[in-house]
Amino acid sequence: MAHSERHEELVAAVALGMPLGAERAEIEQHLRDGCPLCEELLVDFRQAASAFAAETRAVAPPAALRERILGSLPPARVPARRGDFAAWRVLAAAAVLLLFAVGLDDARLRRQREDLRSQSADLAGRLASTQIELAQRELRARVLESEDVQMLILGGHGPQPDAQGRVFWSPRAKRGVLVAANLAPLPTDRQYQLWVFLAGKPVDAGVFDADPAGKALFESKNFPEANAQNFAVTVEPRGGVPAPTGPIVLVGAPSQG
Amino acid sequence: MNLRRLDPDRALMARVEARDADALAALYDRHAGRLLGLAQRILGETGEAEEVLQEVFLFAWRAAASFDPTRGSVATWLLISTRSRSIDRLRARRPASRPEVRSLEELPEGPPGLQDVEGATVDREWERLCRNAVGELPEEQRRALELAYFEGLTHQEIAAKTATPLGTVKTRVRLGLMKLRDRLRPYFESGSHGP
Repeated sequence: MAHSERHEELVAAVALGMPLGAERAEIEQHLRDGCPLCEELLVDFRQAASAFAAETRAVAPPAALRERILGSLPPARVPARRGDFAAWRVLAAAAVLLLFAVGLDDARLRRQREDLRSQSADLAGRLASTQIELAQRELRARVLESEDVQMLILGGHGPQPDAQGRVFWSPRAKRGVLVAANLAPLPTDRQYQLWVFLAGKPVDAGVFDADPAGKALFESKNFPEANAQNFAVTVEPRGGVPAPTGPIVLVGAPSQG
Repeated sequence: MNLRRLDPDRALMARVEARDADALAALYDRHAGRLLGLAQRILGETGEAEEVLQEVFLFAWRAAASFDPTRGSVATWLLISTRSRSIDRLRARRPASRPEVRSLEELPEGPPGLQDVEGATVDREWERLCRNAVGELPEEQRRALELAYFEGLTHQEIAAKTATPLGTVKTRVRLGLMKLRDRLRPYFESGSHGP
């Protein structure tokens, strides 16, 4: 549908985080059909609305709060390596795109997702720049709640100390995507299985295979609704098991210190 | 003038992404006062506002890679995150416990002793521009946007609260944001907009 004032009203509501009910589907469809004007307005309106924050007075936070917050950061499990960040940023864009493209019954989008998937055979650093652009464009159009996306770094563990991974998830969308690298090849009767820790207990989030280069881009189809505390990947019999039995090869730091 | 080109937050975010806790501490020192002020304005002076601040910085630590500079500055990213978390909590409360929104004139002049906190916010020039832009809005547009921004009200709720037809409220919200955007857009950063 052509751009109209009504769309601008809906974009304004989205930018202000108003619950929209049935109108949400309408504006999402409009953005999906491709309206550069609304895409730009959404980004601009969100920034513009933040001008109201300048009406508030800064408040000196208690010193104890600073200690509590900075002391609660999960320790970094993966030592930073210069040069990796560009590749991870591409993976992040792809992961977040997958995160929000899930469940959309749209042929064009499904094709784009399949394209992204096929690239996952050689992921890090090799996604074409057009796909980065695509991911960013789709993000603007679709990720209406991008501030909701959380990320946790997973580090190699046990038999696979060099494995690396990141989980991106959205509590609101109840979706999660794992990107991983340096995973070891497995016998054909084995698969990797992702676990989400809820209240200290591992919950099955699905099984996946790594490509021959040891990389994986896995979108969890049954991501738990409750807030995830931590994630781990184990090696399990093909098809997965209800509770982890094999060695942990990737694990994140606990989210609460 | 492009304020954001001078934005030291961008370099800090890159370091946060590389898991540099000192960079997050620096971001905290630059923004915590403003963010806590916003959370308290929405939630009142409760422990909840401090919980929101904790969530926001944990989020910044975890999700630094999802920060997209084409969607706004680091400060805006943190403000949006603080505001949306605060509004979520506000909506979860009963309506009766909502703190009343106050307009700019009703607020006391800056509380004594907080000048140093304001001074720590390098974006004072940006904030001055924002205050001016908000101040230039027609009263009814500003009121509608304040109700949406600080109280998380929907079009329908604003219409009921201000005894205004729904269509008028929708127009006010749209026009108000459009005016703010036109006024501030020259200072937005990024490749696709801005000077």
